[in-house]
Amino acid sequence: MTSIRRRLLLATALGAGVSLAIAGLGGPTPAQGAEKSVTIGIDLPLTGADAEGATRIKYGAEMAIDEANAKGGVAGYKLDMMTLNDATASAGQYDPAQAATNAKKFVSDPNVVAAIGPEMSGAGKAMAPILSAGDLAIITPSSTNPDITDPKFAGQFRPAGKAIYFRTVTTDAFQGPNMANYMRDTLKMKSVYILDDSGAYGVGIANAYEGQAKKIGVKVLGHDQLNPKEADYTTALTKIKALNPDAVYYGGVAGAGVKFVKQSYDVMPKTIKAGGDGVFGPEYLSAVGFPAAEGLYATNASPHVTEDPAAQEWVKRYSERYKVQPDDYAITAYDAALVIIDSIKRVAASGKPVNHSNVRDAIQSAKVKTLQGEVSFDENGDINSRVVSVFQIKHNPKYPVDDIIHQYKYIGVAPQSPAS
Amino acid sequence: MTFGDVLIQQVINGVSLGAIYSLLALGFTMVYGIIELINFAHFNVFMVGSFLAMYILEALGLNGQNVILTGFPLVGVLAVALVGTMLLSGALGVLIERTALRPLRGVPGTAAMITTIGVSYILFNLVLLTIGADAFNFPNPMPKVRWGEGGVVLQLREVLVWLVAFLLMAGLNYFVRHTKMGKAMQATAQDQEAARMMGVEVDRVVMITFFLGSALAGAAGLVFGLYYNYTNFAIGYTAGLRAFTAAVLGGIGNIPGAMIGGVIIGLIESLGGQLLEVRWTDVIIFSVLVLVLVFRPSGLFGRAAVTKS
Repeated sequence: MTSIRRRLLLATALGAGVSLAIAGLGGPTPAQGAEKSVTIGIDLPLTGADAEGATRIKYGAEMAIDEANAKGGVAGYKLDMMTLNDATASAGQYDPAQAATNAKKFVSDPNVVAAIGPEMSGAGKAMAPILSAGDLAIITPSSTNPDITDPKFAGQFRPAGKAIYFRTVTTDAFQGPNMANYMRDTLKMKSVYILDDSGAYGVGIANAYEGQAKKIGVKVLGHDQLNPKEADYTTALTKIKALNPDAVYYGGVAGAGVKFVKQSYDVMPKTIKAGGDGVFGPEYLSAVGFPAAEGLYATNASPHVTEDPAAQEWVKRYSERYKVQPDDYAITAYDAALVIIDSIKRVAASGKPVNHSNVRDAIQSAKVKTLQGEVSFDENGDINSRVVSVFQIKHNPKYPVDDIIHQYKYIGVAPQSPAS
Repeated sequence: MTFGDVLIQQVINGVSLGAIYSLLALGFTMVYGIIELINFAHFNVFMVGSFLAMYILEALGLNGQNVILTGFPLVGVLAVALVGTMLLSGALGVLIERTALRPLRGVPGTAAMITTIGVSYILFNLVLLTIGADAFNFPNPMPKVRWGEGGVVLQLREVLVWLVAFLLMAGLNYFVRHTKMGKAMQATAQDQEAARMMGVEVDRVVMITFFLGSALAGAAGLVFGLYYNYTNFAIGYTAGLRAFTAAVLGGIGNIPGAMIGGVIIGLIESLGGQLLEVRWTDVIIFSVLVLVLVFRPSGLFGRAAVTKS
């Protein structure tokens, strides 16, 4: 051999030897103490039009995870958070393409055993097939579009068959229609005009509302779409005013919603305005202001817990730590984290490896006591307890303008079936 | 409301909306007219101007719609806000021209236009990162004066928009026609080389053009905020697209064309939305644009492009 070839052979042998040695040293060993960790993915639109709500949700999940870590972790595992933003500047809000990218990141990281999020159904629709292929469970505290867990669309959203999209919130299959029942029965609404913001959530809840309204004898005078990127809705509002409906129902989120509420106060101040959980948020108070925001009806697809005496200690802890008020979706996020923590515990206790597939199975069979009551899921991933809460904005001058707990007055539960 | 009433109301809506597009298109089309540059940054200078106006009004003690003024104090506050916003926006425009565009002076092709796209994104993201994505309740001291309750309604704010738009257009017109600098701008628009040879300081002309264009963008930002009681980092996007369309429709470089283009777009928006559906607005507007350009490539009032040899 030439001297160069000899050197090359020596170098290769040395390299191989060193690599083997390192591999031998660093191989999987039964770790003692909290050196082992698992990751919980968090996907939320942390910038853009829905950032405020998303941040409150993040704090809810974070608080549960930090509390678990403070107690020494879960079955000896430290919980790490991988927080990814699914909003982009060009969308100005959640971006389904970015959510898909985030889902791929979760799935490709073997340390991620479960995830919390997304906030928005549009992101959920993009993430579900990817998570299904990766057998990774996600629990959403606020995404309400029913299609994602509907068995009719299983081929599209869970091609691998098993449920992976779990919710600690109920769906628009109930949120929209129950509000229609409430508005006809309690608000005596006889005619309605429906608007949506062209997003997955908005269109879904508006259509569900429309179906129920027609079923219970309410006249639907029309259904049009608002463009969240446009600033001026006077045309649509003038058209609606001329038709003179008792109420206008808006399915959608803050991008178009804030402008809708603001401008409809100018054009038709006396018409009842209502929306889903997309119109429940501090941006409707701070950006719309009073008197324009007064009287707006909103719903939440979860029980109203933040004013529950039993939850006050938790509310206080959250507010002191994060300097903002929690909303009901901060609670469902906290509860989602509790379910994941409980599931990890059960997998570890059963002796099986703590990986995403086993955690998913544990989540499917979960029965966990949480702030919103006992949480368990049906075979599609939907939460078994279906409660829709109704709120109305009533200006309370004793509290700051953007205090959602005190400016949104809790009215009651929207009835699952109409009165007649 | 009778159907006739609704139509009249939508015409009023369309014309008011058109005023906002016209105001925004004004500075944009002027810059093109003088230095043949499509300045995409114009629409985010508009957005920044809106925030500057908000801060000025807040500094004057206004807060949401809680402080209402009339008479002299109202005019005074609005005048201070208008002048302040225009000066600051104009300064921003000069900054952009100095840093991003002057180094490209004389470079053929689309380099300068593409640079303005880059500046536009920089402004957009700077505001998003520093101020955030929140929508803001714009401070507005104007009383809610409406004429014609019950049927067709005309609001004070609609009159205001037209007033400001006309004042600024008239002011611009006077400046360009009857002042020395205005004549220098016209000369530069006709032929930069020849103007330079005749002793016109082209550098200064370009700077003043940018100052004026951006000042007009800022004024549009103030008016937008007062009209909608709203501002947000994203307002440059759609308003900009519509105003750009209005300018091109009217003939880019032509100032009265921009005004008329704006009104046409506004009317298409309101009447199209009323007679068809609001969700088709973008399709209708851009179809009209494409049709006009197919038959009149330089827009309704534009001059045919003079090929430079």
